[in-house]
Amino acid sequence: MRFGLLGAAIGLLVFLVFFQQTLLSSLLDSFTGALQNQSGTISVYSFEARQNLEASALSPDIIARVAAVPGVDKAGPLGEATLTFLANGRQVDMAVIGAEPGRPGQPTKLISGRPATMPGEGVASSEAKGLTIGDTVTTSAGGSPVRIVGLTEQSQLNVQPTLFVTFGTYTTLRKAANPDATVVPPSAVAVIPLPAANPKAVAASINAALPETAALTRSEAVANAPGVSSTQGSFAIVLALAVVVVALVTGFFFLILTIQKTPSLTLLRAVGAPGSYLVRGLIQQVVLVLGVGLVLAVGLVSAATAVINVGLPLTVDPRALVASTMLIVGLSLAGVAFSVWRVLRIEPIHAVSRPGLGGIE
Amino acid sequence: MKVALLELRRRPWRFAPAVIALVLLTVLLLVLGGLLDGLYNGFTGALRAQPGELLAYAADARLSMLRSRIDAATVAEAERAPGVAQVGGLGTALLGATVPGQATQANVALFGYQLAPRGVPAPPSQAGQVYADTSLKAQGVKKGQTLFLGPKRYPVSIVGWVSGTNFLLQGGLWGNVDTWREVLASARPDLMLAAGTYQVLTISTAAGADPTRVAAAIDIATRGTTHTVMRSLAVAALPGIKQQRSTFNAIIDTTFFVAALVVALFFILLTIERMEMYAVFKAVGASSAQLFGQVVLQAVTIAVLSFGLGALLALAVSSVIPPQVPLQLSAGRAIEVAVGLVVMSTLGSVLSLRRVVRIDPATAIS
Amino acid sequence: MGHHRAAALKLENVRKAYRSGDDEIVAVDRATLEIGNAEIVALVGPSGSGKTTLLSISGGLLSPSDGRVLVAGDDISGYDPKQLTKFRRENVGFVFQSVNLVPFLTARENLLVVADFSRRDKKKSAARADQLLDELGLEQRKANLPAQLSGGERQRVAVGRAFMNEPDLVLIDEPTSALDTRLGEQVMELIVTEVRARNTAAVIVTHDQRMTHHADRTLYITDGVLSDAPRT
Repeated sequence: MRFGLLGAAIGLLVFLVFFQQTLLSSLLDSFTGALQNQSGTISVYSFEARQNLEASALSPDIIARVAAVPGVDKAGPLGEATLTFLANGRQVDMAVIGAEPGRPGQPTKLISGRPATMPGEGVASSEAKGLTIGDTVTTSAGGSPVRIVGLTEQSQLNVQPTLFVTFGTYTTLRKAANPDATVVPPSAVAVIPLPAANPKAVAASINAALPETAALTRSEAVANAPGVSSTQGSFAIVLALAVVVVALVTGFFFLILTIQKTPSLTLLRAVGAPGSYLVRGLIQQVVLVLGVGLVLAVGLVSAATAVINVGLPLTVDPRALVASTMLIVGLSLAGVAFSVWRVLRIEPIHAVSRPGLGGIE
Repeated sequence: MKVALLELRRRPWRFAPAVIALVLLTVLLLVLGGLLDGLYNGFTGALRAQPGELLAYAADARLSMLRSRIDAATVAEAERAPGVAQVGGLGTALLGATVPGQATQANVALFGYQLAPRGVPAPPSQAGQVYADTSLKAQGVKKGQTLFLGPKRYPVSIVGWVSGTNFLLQGGLWGNVDTWREVLASARPDLMLAAGTYQVLTISTAAGADPTRVAAAIDIATRGTTHTVMRSLAVAALPGIKQQRSTFNAIIDTTFFVAALVVALFFILLTIERMEMYAVFKAVGASSAQLFGQVVLQAVTIAVLSFGLGALLALAVSSVIPPQVPLQLSAGRAIEVAVGLVVMSTLGSVLSLRRVVRIDPATAIS
Repeated sequence: MGHHRAAALKLENVRKAYRSGDDEIVAVDRATLEIGNAEIVALVGPSGSGKTTLLSISGGLLSPSDGRVLVAGDDISGYDPKQLTKFRRENVGFVFQSVNLVPFLTARENLLVVADFSRRDKKKSAARADQLLDELGLEQRKANLPAQLSGGERQRVAVGRAFMNEPDLVLIDEPTSALDTRLGEQVMELIVTEVRARNTAAVIVTHDQRMTHHADRTLYITDGVLSDAPRT
C-alpha cells in the first residue's frame, strides 16, 4: 500500500519530466525542424547574417567556389523566405525553402508523396491544417500556383507551415511577392561533404577559403538559429531541475522509510540476516517502486500528449525518454545510497536494548 | 495548544518527504515562471511597452513588423482618423553589435521611435545616441560606451538605460528616427526606407474612445492599406509566441497538478501511519471534523513553510544561471505560486478525509 | 425532598454479537448491571471473556447489538458515531491497557489534548491538568515525554488524562498488567483516590484478583456472561 502510493508519487514526478521534455523538444522542433531535417549537413551563410538564415544572402557565384573546397561532395543553393499564400481560400503565411532537385537541401522526413522535382511543385508540412497532396496554393495575388506533391513531418520553420520547392519555383515566388526585385540570390549554400570527411573539418575549410561566409554544421545551424540558444538554455535548466527534483524526492523518501523501519530491520539483523540481504531488499524495493513509477509515467505521457493541445504537434521521442530515465534511476539510486549505508550500520544488539515506549509510534 | 503544530515541531522528519517535494516543486514553479516571463519579455517587450493601445501595420504585412511599410501619406491619413490622439512612427533593424572589449557580438534590435514607450525617455536629440536595454549589461555593454552596429560598424553611443524593451530576444537600443534610418543605410541598404516611411505606427486613442472602433476607423481612413490592431493582438502574432506560451503554461499547470497529487499522496501515507493515534483521539472524543481540521492545518503550514524555503532556493538557483538565459523572477508569479501551493496542499489533504472519517475509535482499546 | 440522581451506568440486557462467515460469535451475552454514582466496580475475567467489549460498550466506543446502555441517565444505545464521539468527549474517561500516550507530547500536553478537542476554557483546563498531575505525584515530570517516563509514571499520566473532562464514568482496562505488585498497588490507590475525590464512578477491568479489594464490588465475566460470583 505504502509502496503503491510512493510509486504513484514517483510516477507523477517522472511523468512531469517526460512531459516537459516532450513539450519543449516539440516546441524547438517546430522552430527549427526544417533546418534539422534537410539533406545538407553543412549550411553556408553570409558572414554578416550572424547565423540567421533570414538575414543571409549570397551571390550565386559563391556556390561554385564552395563546391571547389576539398571535402565537399555536393553543393547547391538554398533559398528561404516567409511569404503569404492563398490556400483553400484563406490567406496563410508559409515559410518557403527552395533547393535544386538532386542537390543538397531536400527535405529528409517525407511521410507521403514524393519530393518536388518540377517547377510549380511543392512538399508541405503535414502539420499545416488543411493541406494535402493534390492541393494547389497560390500567391495572395492568385498567381504562381504550387501543387502539393508530398508531405513532411517535423520539418517546420518558426512554427509556421513550411513549403519545400525547387529553387526555380522559389525564385518565381519571391519575384511575385516583390516585382521590383531584379535578382533573387540564394540565402545560403547547402553542402554535403564527402562520405569519409568530417563535417566540422570541411566547414572549417570553407570558412578559411571564403572569409565572407560562415559555414556551420547542421547541428550548429540549428543551435544558433535566432533565439534558439537562449530558449534551449532555459529548457535545459527546467529539465535539469525536474530530474533533480525526482531524484531527491525518491532518495529522501527512501531514507525516511529506512529510518522508520529501523526497528524491524534491527530485528532481522538480530536473528542473523546479513547486511547484504537487507541492502538487496532495499535496492529491490527502490527498483520496484521506480519501475512502477516509470510505467505510470510513460502511460501518463502518452495520454497527455494525445489529449493536450498547445498549438503544435507533440512527438514523444523514445530515445530522449530513455536518456532521462537512466539519469533519474542513476540519481535516485545515488540518493538511496545513504539509506544503504544506514542499513549496513544497524547494530543487531539494539533489538534487545531499544526501550519500548508504552505508547503509539 | 495545537497538537497538529506540535507534531510538526517535534516530529519534523515525518513530514520531511512532503516538505522536500514541495520545496523542490516550488523552486521548479518559480524558475519555470521566471524563464517563461524572461523569454516572453525578451520576445515581446518592445511591443508591450508601446504607449498607445493600437499598432498599425501595412495591410499586406500580415502583422509582421519586419515586412511592414507605411508611407508618409498613409501616416497623414491615419492621423486624421476620428478618435486618434497621437500617432508615432516606429521602425527597427535586427543587427549584430560589436561591443568594445568583448569577443562575440551582441544581438540587438535598433529602434527608431517618435512616441516614447513606457519607461523610455523622449527620443535622444542627437542622431547616434541610444538608450540601451539593461539586458545588454550581460553582454558587457556599459553606459557611455560606443557600440558598432552591422558590417560597416555604424557607431552609436549609450546615453542611458531602459528595461523591458527587447524584441525577438535581441537587446533593445532606442534612438531617434534619424539614427534608425542611418543605421539601415549603413547595415541593411536592401531594407532602406524613404524619409517619412515607417514600419509600423504606434497610436494612442483619445480619452473615452473605443480602441476597436478607432482601429477600424483608421483602416477606413487609409483606404484599407493598413491593418490596425490592439497591441495585445500584435504581441500574440509574433512568430511562435502563442505556442511558446501555451507550452509553458501547460508545463506550469501540470506541475501544479502533480504538486497537488504528490501532497495528497504524502498526506494519505501520513494518515495511514497515524491511524492508531487518531483512534485514541477519537476515543477521547475528537470528532472527525476536528481531526480533519488538524490535517488541513498541517498541510497549509507545510505549504507555507515549503514556499518560503523554495523561494530562497529559487533565488539561489537564479544567481547561478548564466546571464544569457533570460530569467525574470517576479513578485506576481511568486504570489501565484504561493497561493496555488496552499490551495493544492489543502485540496490534496482533502483526499485523506475519507480515511480519517472511517477510523474506528474502538481500535484504541484493543 | 431528596433528588433522584440517575445511576452512573446502567446496562439492560446488553448483547454484542459478531458475524464470522456463517457463525455468530457472541462477545457479550445479555449483560445487566447498575453502578452508582461514586461506586468502584471491578470486572474480573480471563482473556477472551468479553470484558473489554463490555467496557467499550459502556463507554460508547462500541454500540450494542441488543439492549440498552444508559450513562448518567442518557440512553446511548442508539447513538450514531458522531453522537457517541460527543458523548465520550463530555461524559467518559478511558484508561487503555496499552496506555496510548502521544509520544511527541509531554505529560502535561497529553492531558491538555483532551481539552483541545472539547473547547473548554483553556486556562481552566491548564489548571486542572496541573492539579491532576500534582495529585498523581507527577509534579516533577510534567515536562517529560513518555520516552522519559517509567512504566508506572506513564500509567499515571494515562489516569490523569481520563479525568480531564470531568467525566461521570471512568473506564479502566487492565491498569496493572504491565506493572509489578508494588507499583500496581500504588496505581490502584491513586485511581481510587481520584475516583473518590471527584465523585466519579469507575469500572476497572482486570484479570488480577489481588487488585479487587480496592473496589466496592466485584463482578465476574466468563464467555460473555456476567455474574456476581466467580465461576468455579
